[in-house]
Amino acid sequence: MEFNNDHDKKMAEKEAKRMEQALATSKATADTFYDQSQDVTLTKGDINRMAFRSLALQASFNYERMQAGGWLYTILPALRKIHKNKDDLKNSMHMHMEFINVHPFDVTFLSGLVLAMEKGKENISTIRAVKVALMGPLGGIGDALFWLTLLPICAGIGASLALEGSFFGPIIFLLMFNIVHFGLRFGLAHYGYHAGTSALPLLKTHTKRISHAASIIGMTVIGALVASYVHLSTPLEINAGQAHVALQADVLDKLMPNILPLGFTLIVYSLMKRNFSPVKLIGLTVIIGVVGKLVGFL
Amino acid sequence: MLMDALLIGLLAGIAGVDLFDGLTHLHRPIVIGPLVGLILGDVTTGLYVGGSLELVWMGMVPLAGAQPPNVVIGGVIGTSFAILTHADPKVAIGIAVPFAIAVQGCITILFTIYSPMMHKCDRFVDQLNFKGIEWVNYLGMIILFGFYFIVAFLPIYFGADAATALVQKSPQWLLDGLSVAGGMMPAIGFAMLMKIMMKKTYIAYFILGFLGVTFLNLPILAIALGALAIAMIDFFNYGRENNDSNKPVSSDSVEVEDGI
Repeated sequence: MEFNNDHDKKMAEKEAKRMEQALATSKATADTFYDQSQDVTLTKGDINRMAFRSLALQASFNYERMQAGGWLYTILPALRKIHKNKDDLKNSMHMHMEFINVHPFDVTFLSGLVLAMEKGKENISTIRAVKVALMGPLGGIGDALFWLTLLPICAGIGASLALEGSFFGPIIFLLMFNIVHFGLRFGLAHYGYHAGTSALPLLKTHTKRISHAASIIGMTVIGALVASYVHLSTPLEINAGQAHVALQADVLDKLMPNILPLGFTLIVYSLMKRNFSPVKLIGLTVIIGVVGKLVGFL
Repeated sequence: MLMDALLIGLLAGIAGVDLFDGLTHLHRPIVIGPLVGLILGDVTTGLYVGGSLELVWMGMVPLAGAQPPNVVIGGVIGTSFAILTHADPKVAIGIAVPFAIAVQGCITILFTIYSPMMHKCDRFVDQLNFKGIEWVNYLGMIILFGFYFIVAFLPIYFGADAATALVQKSPQWLLDGLSVAGGMMPAIGFAMLMKIMMKKTYIAYFILGFLGVTFLNLPILAIALGALAIAMIDFFNYGRENNDSNKPVSSDSVEVEDGI
């Protein structure tokens, strides 16, 4: 419980910081739209177009406003359709040029939701609040689903085929990854648009549960990948009079195969938790490899 | 050689854009490797190097906004040099990593100097200049394409001979050592993933996956499906328990960070 409270507090702090960043880059002048008519409906094609354009979310990525340019690019055609009043359109676009940093894979859920709110002519500050509130949860669920689960599984299967010399490795990798990728990208766009703000309370509980389920799969696969693809063994032999004992075959493999790869991975993991950067660890690995070979224990 | 280098530059440009925009993941070494192999006329080596580099870069994804060594340049340079210098693919990993780190540094600079374009966008909004806003995005992708084209073309066109000479002159113990290090390198990516995901709750699943391969020799797909089954049991039991009673169930979520 303690941990959960901390977690929520940390999230709230981050959210406050993001709101600050958004307001710092804000050029929106009014909070309510002049034209409150809600007669525009976006077609299936409009939503699909938005989902397709979301592929360019990071096209103008920069450290001042992160994905703001690509985010506006994503929803621009739909915004033009919704806001007939020029001042409304300007105001809305200014708000969407504010700082935004959302996950590039599940972004369409947010853009669908935002378009539903724009269509309902909600206040600028309300839409901004939803954008800011969703950046964190969507980032977490996107990392868990795509980087930590989908990519290791697809890449692990693809690489094992490629290493056997099969041309199907890259093909199966691309197929598996993109069926899920595009299915979710387009599916979430429609879901976000149709569910609208009613999806918000559900999202919070679902974020945790889906991340949890994804982490179970991801962690299992990583355990399997460590055993399959980290290669480390020792040629050391112990000579005691007549008896030759090969350390790897006679001792370590009898104890547990893959014990050296597991040990090395856990050492790297613990160093990483002490804030060793990946670059430093790569350098360290090269040194261990070269020195180990030179001395003869690897 | 000029033609090969140009084609590889083109491939790197497309892959470099895909890394940020498009995200079809054709920029991963497992796809780039065989494609570079196709250009250089050695698909088998390309597949093997691509597969090896894929494992090294598996965990090196942009988690929580931190940029890892650049996977596109790592894949392109690593595969090209492995084929051109006839070095062991694991040695190629050692050659590729410094390039990948340097390029990522340059990308950070590119993203910094693109910031003023946002103020241009603000003016375009006031003028309702939609084409202008769109072109700021297209220009970003064009710049990225050009950058990757150059950083892939130059080392391959001008560096291949030097790299071959270097590999031939290198003492055997150094090459063997690099090869050993290349075999250990995937651990770094996996550890990165573990750092983000690992909670007490998940240690059990790591152990399950590890022993599935070590003692049962199961393929990765079998283990992924088994894990999916466990995750589904967990997911649906949570719903049932919550409906039957108000028993609290602990559900730790993964560390929630900015996604980029």
